[in-house]
Amino acid sequence: MTFGRFFLRRMLMVIPLMLGIVFATFMLVRIGGLDPVGLLAGPTATAAEFDLIRGELGLDKSLFEQFFIYLGNLLQGDFGESWLSNRPVLDDMLDRVMISLELLLWGVGIGTLIGIPIGLRAAFRPDGSFDHISRFFSLLGFSIPTYWLGLVMLFVFFYLLGWAPPGVGRIGLIMSPPPTVTGSYFFDALIAGEWEVARSAASHLVLPVICMAIVSSAPIIKHTRAITLEVLSNDTVRYAKASGLPKDVVKRIVLRNSTVPILTFVGTEITGLVGTMSLIEFVFAWGGLGEYGLAAIVRGDFAAVQGYVLFLALFSVIVFLIIDFVVYLIEPRAELT
Amino acid sequence: MSLLEVNELETHFVSRDLDNNIRTARALNGVTFAVDSGEFLGIVGETGAGKSLTAQSAVGLLRPPARVVGGSVRFAGTELLNLSDDELNGLRGHEIAMVVQNPRTSLDPLTRVGDQLIRIRQAHVKSSNSEARKRALEMMDAVGIPDPERRAMAWPHELSGGMAQRVLIAMALMNEPRLLIADEPTTGLDVTVQAQILDLLRDLVKRMNMAAIIITHDLGVVAHYCDRMAVMFAGSMVEVGPVKAVFDRPAHPYTKNLIAATPERLKLGETSILGAPPPDLYNLPDGCHHRDRCQYAEDICLTDPKIEDVAPGHAARCHLAARLLETAK
Amino acid sequence: MPDGANFRAEAAPLPGFSVTRRIAGMSRFSPTAAIGLTIILIFGILALGSNIFMPYDPVSSFPERVLQAPNADHWFGTDGNGMDVFSRVIYGARYGFGIAIPAVIISLLIGVPVGLWTGYRGGIGDEVVMRFFDGLRVFPSIILALAVVAATGQSLINVIIVLGVLDSPVFARVVRSEVLALRSSVFVESAVAAGNPTWRIMFVHLLPNAIQGAMAQTAVRAAWAVRISATLAFLGVGIQAPTPEWGAMIRQGAEFMVSGQWWVALFPGLALIMLVLGLNMLGDGLQDFLNPRRRSVK
Repeated sequence: MTFGRFFLRRMLMVIPLMLGIVFATFMLVRIGGLDPVGLLAGPTATAAEFDLIRGELGLDKSLFEQFFIYLGNLLQGDFGESWLSNRPVLDDMLDRVMISLELLLWGVGIGTLIGIPIGLRAAFRPDGSFDHISRFFSLLGFSIPTYWLGLVMLFVFFYLLGWAPPGVGRIGLIMSPPPTVTGSYFFDALIAGEWEVARSAASHLVLPVICMAIVSSAPIIKHTRAITLEVLSNDTVRYAKASGLPKDVVKRIVLRNSTVPILTFVGTEITGLVGTMSLIEFVFAWGGLGEYGLAAIVRGDFAAVQGYVLFLALFSVIVFLIIDFVVYLIEPRAELT
Repeated sequence: MSLLEVNELETHFVSRDLDNNIRTARALNGVTFAVDSGEFLGIVGETGAGKSLTAQSAVGLLRPPARVVGGSVRFAGTELLNLSDDELNGLRGHEIAMVVQNPRTSLDPLTRVGDQLIRIRQAHVKSSNSEARKRALEMMDAVGIPDPERRAMAWPHELSGGMAQRVLIAMALMNEPRLLIADEPTTGLDVTVQAQILDLLRDLVKRMNMAAIIITHDLGVVAHYCDRMAVMFAGSMVEVGPVKAVFDRPAHPYTKNLIAATPERLKLGETSILGAPPPDLYNLPDGCHHRDRCQYAEDICLTDPKIEDVAPGHAARCHLAARLLETAK
Repeated sequence: MPDGANFRAEAAPLPGFSVTRRIAGMSRFSPTAAIGLTIILIFGILALGSNIFMPYDPVSSFPERVLQAPNADHWFGTDGNGMDVFSRVIYGARYGFGIAIPAVIISLLIGVPVGLWTGYRGGIGDEVVMRFFDGLRVFPSIILALAVVAATGQSLINVIIVLGVLDSPVFARVVRSEVLALRSSVFVESAVAAGNPTWRIMFVHLLPNAIQGAMAQTAVRAAWAVRISATLAFLGVGIQAPTPEWGAMIRQGAEFMVSGQWWVALFPGLALIMLVLGLNMLGDGLQDFLNPRRRSVK
């Protein structure tokens, strides 16, 4: 299968998933006895807004027709309006995507850069002191609540030591953001040559990224170790040793054979890490999509929740697509499906 | 002196159970045999008798909790059990080559077949890429792989089972081994392919005057292809001798029962012979391990039997072997 | 796998089964699990005997002692309402266990039968259920839990039920894969041939074997339940102040963290870490226990 067809097929797979979600939310609202107008309009709505929404939803029509109106709207990009922000949900989300992506990529990237080597080293020297210590830290990483870690870090590095800026936003309050190129304040400032702004953006990134990296490294350490241990005892490695291949050659064989499973694992972890990222955004008032979604769920901003949920689904499908494609490039046994 | 001499090799598995007791499985408890250049020895036994373990113990491929605890393995006069891991690594894949089962999973799935042959060559013998490549193609030809140039570019998963096994044999031959150990090389292959592979092995062994050991649970294979055979039971070698002699005049009761069994039972499957349960290597009986299921057992069998010649070149580990042979005539 | 390893690894019957020897053996096998279990037991004692250990009532406030740093009277200080943090942290252990245990039980009660049934029967039902579970995996678990709790009502009971339901796919999947492996074994096939009805095969033959994997997961899933319920409380969903639940306490303490009153949020967090860590350590050991390859002397 060529890449084109693969991509198309994967994108097509999103559709039943999204349809399922849309259908579920549509039905839950209608059948669950909740008032769809009330949910969409929110507690701050005026009577006029109520009428407007009621009209748009076409509640006088049959359930069937309602669903199609609804679906049609969605397909045109009309996700409704967030009553919290009074803006179309789609606009709200698009504004925030890059903000979250910056945090996610930095955090997971560093977490992977730390986690994989540690997991590998633990696997090559099993039951040694490094192994035990790293396993302990990995378990610890699984046990520390992300939001608490963020708070503690703010306390230590902002309040006590004064090294970090206050955990509000992505740059200093008095600064104005650089012209948008990538959506990342840090990179945009570098591109525009605004060094002060870049420094501010970087200093604001440090704590959230460290939090994210610590929490994301825990599962990566654990699974890298487990995967590598499995590879170390598989037929290929045993035969390599039986063939008298030198230790460094065997090691390379182990590493190469571990790469694909580890990569695949990191890809699947990313969906879970979006949750962690959302909590960090919340603690540091980051202004990203994760924080938006959390606020929407907690406050009952129904239109925004729906948009957010659909976006998450799309994001996951894209991540799996990328992973599968990269695996296809590396692994001779893989085919694009 | 034979090329490979194994003498009373002992390997134990030591573990702790949940009651914090140390438990020792005497997985190998007296393995003695020898192979000479140009000889094809077949090691047979039930599953769990210790055949593969013998090969692994000899070349230092044991992993914890398994450990060699006694005996001797002399290869060309050198005591292998005293060598360091690096020294053994130098011998493996070079002078002592192994052909394992599961060829398709044993080959590195991420490297092309030809490159793997080159890799094993350059690991042991200083050679340029072109020299190694030339030899790789020669070996592929020698094992009967058609169109070696093209096949060398293949990935392991693209090969059939039989083809992959030929590749393993080619890999074993790359560095002119003096001893070839084939551990169940034909499991999982088609019957016709099995015959081809075994014919190939025997042919190569004779032509290149290698010493060869084939480990198998199939008595038929041993009967047709081997010069000598060794029978293993419960971790020890109970009988060793020329194939014809052992088949015609088996000295050990276990071998007798084996051969006397119906033709369908010539192939030793998962269940043990005569329906007896497999011996518990954690709790072997004192004296002869076979006495619990032996029809000739006597009081003397409570002491350990030594391996003794019953005829030139034919030995058995049984107190009563000589007497039984006499009465059988 | 060396063929000499086909030995029966059951313990030979020793005279006098000794509990201490068994504990020593298991601790030696997995010190991690032993430590984890100890931690859990300590918290369990704190939870059950909280009345003994708490110096003050966890919800009564001392208005004149608001936001006191840790001192001789209040070892963990007082919070924004003047309540003793130490007592509240100890009482919070009850919430930890009180939520996690029922939630895991619910997950088992739903997940194990589902796993048995889909694994054994297969077919369309299996496909549909598995696709549904796969669909759920697309979402981060915290978001899913948050959304469902927010939508269905913010009571403690609801949190327990939702967490129990949302975690059942994990058990279902584990049990299902074990059943799939067992389905074609001689043992099961002969039971079928003997004419056993499906339910009997599932519960008498398959269950005892398939349950091992699920049991190994219980501690880890309990850890997850404790974590997520605290996170929900931190976000203000499900449990409100002034309930002495650790997540809610961290929520309260968050605003004080950046102005220097670190103790309000720190101690509940530490307690949370310790309990979750203990559960994770026990879970780690349990998972090792069921992996036969690791049962060797060190």
